[in-house]
Amino acid sequence: MKKLLERARKKVDSAELFKVKSKTIPVNFEVNRLKSIDIAEQEGLALRIIHQGRLGFSSLSGNGDFDSILEKAIASSEYGAVSAFNFPPKMETKSKKRLEIYDKRVKNKSVEEMVGIGEKLIDQFRDFDPHLRIDLNILQDYSQIEYVNSQDEDFTYQKTTFSCSIMAQKVETKDILMVYDSISFGNDNLNIEELKAEIIKNLQWSKKIVPIKGGKMPVIFTPKAVITLILPILSGLNGKMVYQKISPFTNQLGNKLWGELFSLYNDGTIDFALGSAPFDDEGIETRRFPLVEKGVVKSFYYDLQTAGLAGVESTGNGIRSGIESEPAPKINNLIMEEGKVPFSEMIKDIREGIIIDQVLGLGQGNILSGAFSNSVQLGFKIEQGKVVGRIKDIMIAGNALTDLKNIVAIGDKARWINGQYKFPHLYLKELSVSTKSN
Amino acid sequence: MREILSRALTKHQNKADFLEIRIEKTENTAIQFQGHKLEKISSSQQIGGNVRALVKGGWGFISFNQLDNLEEKIQEAIQIASLIGKGKSELASTTVAVEIIKQELEGDFRKIDLRVKKELMQNYNDLIMSYHPTIQSSRVNYADRFSTIYYANSEGTYLEQEKPFISISFTAIARDGDNVQMANESIGSTKGFQRAENLSSQAQKAAQRAVNLLKAEPVEGGEYTVVVDQRLGGVFIHEAFGHLSEADFLYEDERMRKMMKLGEKFGNSGLNVVDDGSIPHLLGSAKYDDEGVKTRKNYLIKDGILVGRLHSRETAAKMGEMPTGNARALNYHYKPIVRMTNTYIEAGKNSFEDLLSGISKGIYACDCYGGMTTFENFTFSAGEGYMIRNGKIAEPIRDVVLSGNLFTTLLNIEGIGNDLKIIESGGGCGKDGQSPLPVSFGSPHLRIKKVVVGGK
Repeated sequence: MKKLLERARKKVDSAELFKVKSKTIPVNFEVNRLKSIDIAEQEGLALRIIHQGRLGFSSLSGNGDFDSILEKAIASSEYGAVSAFNFPPKMETKSKKRLEIYDKRVKNKSVEEMVGIGEKLIDQFRDFDPHLRIDLNILQDYSQIEYVNSQDEDFTYQKTTFSCSIMAQKVETKDILMVYDSISFGNDNLNIEELKAEIIKNLQWSKKIVPIKGGKMPVIFTPKAVITLILPILSGLNGKMVYQKISPFTNQLGNKLWGELFSLYNDGTIDFALGSAPFDDEGIETRRFPLVEKGVVKSFYYDLQTAGLAGVESTGNGIRSGIESEPAPKINNLIMEEGKVPFSEMIKDIREGIIIDQVLGLGQGNILSGAFSNSVQLGFKIEQGKVVGRIKDIMIAGNALTDLKNIVAIGDKARWINGQYKFPHLYLKELSVSTKSN
Repeated sequence: MREILSRALTKHQNKADFLEIRIEKTENTAIQFQGHKLEKISSSQQIGGNVRALVKGGWGFISFNQLDNLEEKIQEAIQIASLIGKGKSELASTTVAVEIIKQELEGDFRKIDLRVKKELMQNYNDLIMSYHPTIQSSRVNYADRFSTIYYANSEGTYLEQEKPFISISFTAIARDGDNVQMANESIGSTKGFQRAENLSSQAQKAAQRAVNLLKAEPVEGGEYTVVVDQRLGGVFIHEAFGHLSEADFLYEDERMRKMMKLGEKFGNSGLNVVDDGSIPHLLGSAKYDDEGVKTRKNYLIKDGILVGRLHSRETAAKMGEMPTGNARALNYHYKPIVRMTNTYIEAGKNSFEDLLSGISKGIYACDCYGGMTTFENFTFSAGEGYMIRNGKIAEPIRDVVLSGNLFTTLLNIEGIGNDLKIIESGGGCGKDGQSPLPVSFGSPHLRIKKVVVGGK
């Protein structure tokens, strides 16, 4: 890497190299049996340069030729954006504690052991209900990241991921019940029992289909479904959206938009969370900071270039979504602060309302305005403080910016979703629900 | 290349029931403008490959981009396949093919200077940004890609196929105080750089729609008779119905097979649905699919009756049907799975005015931001919408999201227009993490009763 950097420096003012080497092994079960194992091995190298004040970029994967991507990066810098930053200098890590994101037990896990986990799970689900169709995926991922730049900053780290996703389906004439859940973390310590219990609870609640009338009603979002409301907020807190003045929060820094209960944190420093890393993908140390605290917009998240343009510091959120992409502002891990009310108490509080667990159409539509409109793929009806059954063919719609002003309570037990979001249950006073013929 | 691949295959083919190797070389360019700024300009090249082995009914697959050690990869694929395989390998037979397929481009984008591409996109971007004072920002995306795919299997098939792809998309973002609206236009093609030229009117159309949406009222939720345009109709038939025709969902699931039984009534007479990968030069077209099977025209619904489905060689064998040429892989990272190619509803007899007539309060929904489906349930966001009042298009509305159950919705199609249009957009289809796979889709205008629309 350093030799390649030297080669680049002979031709350009400053340069940065980012290299990823990874191996992913997913073990796939379909219709209750082991179906396939698809190994993926990848190597990629990305080169970003600042030359005559402008940014240039190119990447290669596989057995490529470094000189050709150097030429391409120089060619693209001719038209590239004017650089609003310099590559970061060598930094001493501020935090005392070493961040844990690599577990060799995950890397060394044998395919046979992963197959065993899957087979056992399928047996357990089929014991619960022999008519279930189970599709599941057990996955291990190992990656090694190397970074160097011409300011003498360099680092390397290894990272592992272990995950288990389960889809339980039940097909009746013209009705398909699908319950999906997954758990994902960096170490070999997944609570698969809890995952299984969650799915079984949902299956039990789903046995009976109950009718429902549309209108405004109280709604509880499970941790899995909370992202429906948070996605538009996350998009609006992106420093790039704010800089371009298309975020609804453009002039709202320091303003209180929601109630005391609502707080959101970005945190890249949590051991084994999937969005954690000692540095972001352009060499800035990751950290924990509030995005929203007690309803007040506290901070936006930035990469180097956007921060430079906006005249602020990078928040350590310069993330690459693949070797062919330049860093852009992206959340590390997103944490919503827990409240005090157990899920069971929320249910007891509702005379007539619904629980939303899975939605379709996430991110569809006009996210920038805060609007959301989703069909409910898995939801339940509450009557007189009790869950009475599953609801079908309904849609929820609203605007996350305003609907989050109506939080009645936040759950006392947050859960990790996709290893990157930690969300509690969220109970809203009312939301628009549309159904057939209301 | 043929020699290298066949030598590697010959050496190991006695250890597996079936072996295949795919090597892919790709060159691509991407340009993006955001607002007045050039956000991204880059070109890159990739080379990679994969090996797939079938042993006693179990598949082993490995993808890689270090090509020096092909034989080691073959061994690894056979090894994991053996771990899974406990039964019998079944693959529908197909003609052994040896062919090299080149593509003639109308404007070879590989030979066009980066500056020319950038300046063309800049012009479009300027058109959007200067369209109206309420235009706050824009996204103009340009991408081109030229892939050459080398495919060889242990039965003797050897294919080299060139796959060009170019896409241009325009997004306009308009803002009035807190009200932020956006609109999108997207064009995809396999034909070459000429397709990227002369798109000024599409760029302006995106801007115009975003500005108009600022004045549109959010739709009132409820159940409506809806007329959908060709693009939304095409997305609907692809997303809501097409995916259910993919036999990999069905072949091992008895209950699902029962639900998708051939001969069942799925729609009213006059409803015909086709998937055809053999139409030249559409986004989902290729002479051979990624298992070396020739593509062809497949009827899925004929006169309202379910008559066919889409297969890979394995699903065809397991269901006792013919392979249809629908095994496709996004790129070398992935194995081929059953996918659509170019899917459309055939034209009917109604004029657009016929479809509107008699609707006292309904919705005209056009274009599509995106759609999602899980088996029977679907949801789509229209990019543009109008109320229909007393058989006439009335005021614009926004945030129109349609949802429903596939089976009832197909039966609720009560009018089929005479204006079939095949849409080639820059996006693509997603399945099992393989996204975006280029596909075309199309439909005439459709009138559907009892559609649930989300809203206040």
